[in-house]
Amino acid sequence: MPEIFINGQPVQAEADQTVFQAALANGVYIPYFCWHPALSVAGNCRICSVEEEGRGLDISCNMPVKAGMRILTESPDVLAHRKAIMQLLTLNHPVDCGICDKAGECLLQDYHYAHNGSPSISHDPKVRETKFFNLSQRIVLDNERCILCSRCVRFTREISGSNALGIVQRADHAQVRPAEDADFDSDNYSDNVIDICPVGALLSRSFFYKTRVWYMDATPSVCPGCERGCTVHFWHRKPEWKLNSLDPAENTALVRVTPLVNPAVNGHWICNKGRDLGAVFNRKRADGALLKGRPATLAEATAAARTLIAASKRRVALLSNWGSNEELAAFKAALGGLFRTFVKRDHLPQPGEPLKDELLICADKNPNTAGAVALFGDAAVELPADTDLVLVWGEGCDFGRIPKGARIVFLNSWLQPENGHADVFLPISPQTERHGHYTNFAGVVSAFQPCFDGLPGVAHAATLFAELAAPAGGAA
Amino acid sequence: MTGQKILMDFPVTPTSHTLADYRARGGYQTLEKVLKGLRPEDVTKEVTAAGIQGRGGALFPAGRKWQVVDPYDGQPHYLCCNADEGEPGTFKDRWILEHAPHQLLESMLIAAYAINARHNFIYIRGEFDLPYRRIAAAVEEAYAAGYFGENILGSGFSCHVVVYRGGGSYVCGEASGLLSSIEGIRGYPRNRPPRLTVHGLYQKPTVVNNVETLANLAWIMKHGAEAYRKIGTAKSPGTRMISISGHVARPGVYEVECGYPWKKFIYEDCGGIPGGRKLKGVIPGGISSQIMTADEVERLSLDHESLWDNGSTLGSGGMIVFAEGTCMVSVLRVMLRFYHHESCGQCTPCRDGLGWLHRIIDRMLAGQGRPQDLETLRYVSKAQDGATICGMSDAAALAAIAMLDKYRDEFEYCITHKRSLYSGNLACPKSS
Repeated sequence: MPEIFINGQPVQAEADQTVFQAALANGVYIPYFCWHPALSVAGNCRICSVEEEGRGLDISCNMPVKAGMRILTESPDVLAHRKAIMQLLTLNHPVDCGICDKAGECLLQDYHYAHNGSPSISHDPKVRETKFFNLSQRIVLDNERCILCSRCVRFTREISGSNALGIVQRADHAQVRPAEDADFDSDNYSDNVIDICPVGALLSRSFFYKTRVWYMDATPSVCPGCERGCTVHFWHRKPEWKLNSLDPAENTALVRVTPLVNPAVNGHWICNKGRDLGAVFNRKRADGALLKGRPATLAEATAAARTLIAASKRRVALLSNWGSNEELAAFKAALGGLFRTFVKRDHLPQPGEPLKDELLICADKNPNTAGAVALFGDAAVELPADTDLVLVWGEGCDFGRIPKGARIVFLNSWLQPENGHADVFLPISPQTERHGHYTNFAGVVSAFQPCFDGLPGVAHAATLFAELAAPAGGAA
Repeated sequence: MTGQKILMDFPVTPTSHTLADYRARGGYQTLEKVLKGLRPEDVTKEVTAAGIQGRGGALFPAGRKWQVVDPYDGQPHYLCCNADEGEPGTFKDRWILEHAPHQLLESMLIAAYAINARHNFIYIRGEFDLPYRRIAAAVEEAYAAGYFGENILGSGFSCHVVVYRGGGSYVCGEASGLLSSIEGIRGYPRNRPPRLTVHGLYQKPTVVNNVETLANLAWIMKHGAEAYRKIGTAKSPGTRMISISGHVARPGVYEVECGYPWKKFIYEDCGGIPGGRKLKGVIPGGISSQIMTADEVERLSLDHESLWDNGSTLGSGGMIVFAEGTCMVSVLRVMLRFYHHESCGQCTPCRDGLGWLHRIIDRMLAGQGRPQDLETLRYVSKAQDGATICGMSDAAALAAIAMLDKYRDEFEYCITHKRSLYSGNLACPKSS
């Protein structure tokens, strides 16, 4: 391990590291725009330049570590250079932070205050470029804000493989444009370029002008879109910024989903489906228990379900693979002995949805199949004609397949027509309202946390299972 | 006369560029001698001993570049001839391509043998028409005569050459940008390390040499390094092809022995300034080299060290002469317009800085200069020096700073009087 000196401090670096990586690994922050840990080195933003004593300035992201080299990251020359680079980067930048979705999480903003801070010394008009260029149906490009770091271009070449983006023209007229013969719409990972864009040039159509980022919290969670179980951040409105003037649904909506870096599962990326989880979690919720379609209190419905369980003999449970490991274990502990259990697939691939690829997307479109199968086995669902009670947990069950004579106890989070067809319907909390863990197809367990308080009259499934197992008539 | 000749040592006739004429002058004999009598490392040793410097502008010793490539390491090597002569004021490679294409091809074969390259590329500027037709015809002639192909002259050495026409970008004349362009991708220069002699074309060791550098090799291998060392000065051996233009009576391409007095070259060989005007300044080696004033021209000689010690360089040998009365603000504007147009747009300082410089100088000439403009010009130029992947913005910055320093009064006049000190007309009356 070569020893190098950064600002006079000895630092142990790996032989194959660059000075930039060695500095970052040892707590010395060097600003960067074009460098990205998962992409190749482009070396074009030039802001990571450091001084090697005796050799002058050079970019640290492409400087191999040599034993004994002496690096200065805060010398007067380096600071003057950084300031000049910031002057140049903001020269043709419109500085329209007031209407930019990136404001608040923008590297250019942060570095301006950290490394420049003074007004522009230019008296000449800025170069005008295209604004609101539709890069694809999901992504809007603002060329004036673009600093041409080429991260997005490298992403489509090195990660997603769509080769859909390129840079055309030269000098300060250079622009990111879709390649003529590629289709960025069909890139299933295209939205990652929005996250890796260090400025507000690439914007999400679905998040466009939705909210300022400082009104939002990011809750660590797990994407339930497929058995990969990518770790993600669920972005939602902060409780302290809850506004009564807003549609109440907006206070409890998933506004956007971004990847949470996790080398064990998804690296830096998630697929476009993961971005659209709002379509799953912003559906209308089932907020009250039902007895044969008639509203009832949760306690009444639980008691009725308990009575049904006690009165039946051949019981089958169709378990949800959207349930967390904790909930599945709670079911096994409380009711496992009473039911023949099958793990059903709550969600099936939608028409047109990419089934499987080499990067992240997996064929099973449910988050916890592995966790459920580990507890309950992977037998195909059987519903013998003499079944007299079916407990259905979660979506994805065709009630037409349930034998006519069987009573149905149904646990679900969403407002769906089947709810009224069950003998007992119990509303349960979705992933965004509880703690839990999912096990992905490779056996990696990831945790998720609640984004919102639960609704009144809605129970956690694990609590319900314990109550259902209590002796009949106990709580009613 | 401008001293000993190496490249322009034959009379140009309508057929002097053909294979028959070249053979009559003793052409391709050296190749046979090298292929049959020398090992690759002997050739490299000889070229290193000759001390020939790169003629593309950076003046890096060619032999030292080759030494990095191990001819026996078992992987493919490539040799690229950089004929993308885009430096404004430079047109010497064009003369070689037009009049001595076989000398270039023979030299390329020798170089390819030295680094064991089986595939050679000639990356020729897209705008060149006659040079392209001449070199393409010469390649055909050479293939037909068995100088390229398999088992050349029965030596067991095989070598191919491809003439590749560029798309007309200045930056593609930079060695790594040139390789990107040959690979078929956007002609962006690449980050070093790795060096091109380690990971070059298609990630294989690659040597990129200028046309003039390569064309000298046949002579060096024929007469030996010692004879070559005797030409020119101790530190700059050999001759330089100088393409001179601007306010001189006889512009054109001249071959000048290194160390030749500069003043004598301009006033005697090139016929001096037409119209009897005084000399104002000379750009010695393409617009990327720093301009030299008249009294610097008086006392300097045409070799690398003489110019280097005085803050400039002989660069690519594209000399531009300015007579008294030339508006230097306009000259700088022409230069900056060129650089702004040709910046590839990869690195921040070059991409945004050159456009900024260009807009400032445009505004100054439009009569809207501000007192702080000169400071801004210097600040932006300084911000570019050494701050980019390739050398283009350094060159632009240094050339601009030299211009600002040496003709500062003209720039100040332009700002305070809202117009140029001179008419801005670069044309020169014809000498009678």
